Amino acid sequence: MSSDAGSIPAASTKPTRGEVDLNKRILTSLAVVWLAGSLSPLFSQSPRLRLSAKDHPGFCRVTIAASLPLKYSLERAGSNLLVNIESSAAFRIQRETLQSEFVRSIGWSKGGGSYTLLIELKFAAFSFEHSVRENPYQLIIDLRRNEAPESKPAPPAPAAEKREAPPPASGAALQPSPVIKGKTGEQGGGVPPPVNQGSLNTDAGGPASAARNRATDSRAGSERGQSAGRLKTIVIDPGHGGLEVGAKGKFGTLEKDITLAIGLKLKAVVERNLAFRVVMTRDKDGDITLENRAALANNHKADIFISVHTNGSSRKKAQGSETFFLSLNATDEESRRLAYMENTSDALEGQIDKENKDDIRMILWDLAQTAYLKQSSKLAEIIQSELNELLGTRNRGIKQAPFKVLTGVACPAVLVEVAFISNPDEEKSLLSEDFQERVAQAIYRGLRQYLQLYS
Amino acid sequence: MAKRKNRKKWNRKKTGVLAGLGVLLIVLVFIFFRGNREKIRQIVEASFPKDASATQETLGSRTVTLFFLSDEDGMLHPEEREIEVAASPVLEAQQVIRELIKGPAGGLIATIPRDTRLRQVFITKQGVAYVDFSKDIVEKYSYGSSGEMATVYSIVNSLASNFKSIKKVAILIEGSEKETLGGHIDLSQPFSPLNSLTAK
Repeated sequence: MSSDAGSIPAASTKPTRGEVDLNKRILTSLAVVWLAGSLSPLFSQSPRLRLSAKDHPGFCRVTIAASLPLKYSLERAGSNLLVNIESSAAFRIQRETLQSEFVRSIGWSKGGGSYTLLIELKFAAFSFEHSVRENPYQLIIDLRRNEAPESKPAPPAPAAEKREAPPPASGAALQPSPVIKGKTGEQGGGVPPPVNQGSLNTDAGGPASAARNRATDSRAGSERGQSAGRLKTIVIDPGHGGLEVGAKGKFGTLEKDITLAIGLKLKAVVERNLAFRVVMTRDKDGDITLENRAALANNHKADIFISVHTNGSSRKKAQGSETFFLSLNATDEESRRLAYMENTSDALEGQIDKENKDDIRMILWDLAQTAYLKQSSKLAEIIQSELNELLGTRNRGIKQAPFKVLTGVACPAVLVEVAFISNPDEEKSLLSEDFQERVAQAIYRGLRQYLQLYS
Repeated sequence: MAKRKNRKKWNRKKTGVLAGLGVLLIVLVFIFFRGNREKIRQIVEASFPKDASATQETLGSRTVTLFFLSDEDGMLHPEEREIEVAASPVLEAQQVIRELIKGPAGGLIATIPRDTRLRQVFITKQGVAYVDFSKDIVEKYSYGSSGEMATVYSIVNSLASNFKSIKKVAILIEGSEKETLGGHIDLSQPFSPLNSLTAK
């Protein structure tokens, strides 16, 4: 007993050989812990983004707080401000409840090596300033409304009224023109009608949640029921733009110009005839990435997405119109994700904590279009038959192809190749306003038929 | 006595913790390198094809089928070529792509700009062939959807139909992934061959 008592204090002052080993081991273990700690961000700790928007007198401040400095660029698109952020890492994105007189929603999409945050404003005439604060890193964007001299979009329907009398869900979407006239502004769909304030606050979810809701819905077989009570939205996407000119004709006609002309005519005819909100991915020449086009559509909770293109081929004999919908170039990873999406139920989601939810929504969002392939093929078929009938162009039929612009769109989506710009005869037609108008009419008729059949 | 026992216990615990951390480290290192190992293997395989090929140049020749575009029906039509038999599919696949770039011998239409250089081909164990082109393939054509489909699938179908080891084909430009060739077809995923585009 006494010897035991004696040996212990001795050990604590003068380490035995065993304890030197122990110390070494402790040191090694510390090193390992440090190493693991420094490596772990690669595997688990994803960088964070925190998004918030706060109204101040005269302006709205959007704050993007990040756990690391951001490489970003800003881009304006209609009533949207796009914030492109370069990042190879996957962000964990948190969003505060949105209550703003300026900002309708903040959404995001993720693409190879970059994120796009899409800040949707309630008006198209806005200006912005941005600045950066360090420690902690914050990107601050101040949004101001430009005073429009003739403020055309006087609120046509107060929110309360809309809540009491929501537009009927189904076939009644086809309403005569007067209903819609005042609502859709002239700025490329940039002045959408006011949205139910109540739903806005709870559902500031943006594109990702829209994608998820829709995906869930279509599984349940009630594709359109959910959109009852709000105005339907069609997104028209004039292909290419800016430096990306698309296919070229022998006479030098550029695809990007023709697609814009037809897109604007389609917008006009839809607005004249359908109670639809029309949003253009671009209403003038300019570069917009393919991902941003899809993001824009989802952020506007589009019900239909139509991308307008003119075709090109080195074949001299190539002619006629073609309507495409997405085919998945399915890889193992994709099918796995697809299976995941099909199996994800709300019950499962209930078990996922709130932070992880955003990540999961993002996964779904990448593949949004897969839930709509059936409807998309129907829409393609109907539009194609209208184009064949009206234009007398040879039927090149509907085709499936892995079109980048369609992959992330969370609603029925097609890509219309009106005619071959590479064919000199068709190039001449494409240049004529009359032909462009007839194409727009044909697409519109297809759209209307589709709505009658599938609303 | 009790204290010593405690210390022993403490030591054992330490050892347990250390072992745990060690395992963790190994797992981390494994995760870290696993992603790259495949790539490294591919690069090595592509750069140093099996030794035999260097010495045995004359293994004979074999007939391969290339697919070019037909002006008549817009479909991909076969054209046969002779290539040298090589010791690895990678070397033969390179020849197939080079022949494809040279263009058709008669009647059909080329699908790849003539100035395009083939930079690299590698084939993964899973049967994905990565074909890396110079940027000319993007810049020298102005693509419409149909043109882009023809280019992509003439490459994909030509490779997949001649090599059992190639199930899918991915297209790289200047060594990296590009979104599309001309704004249409998504290049971010490997392509399976599409037989509906080839003439029967």
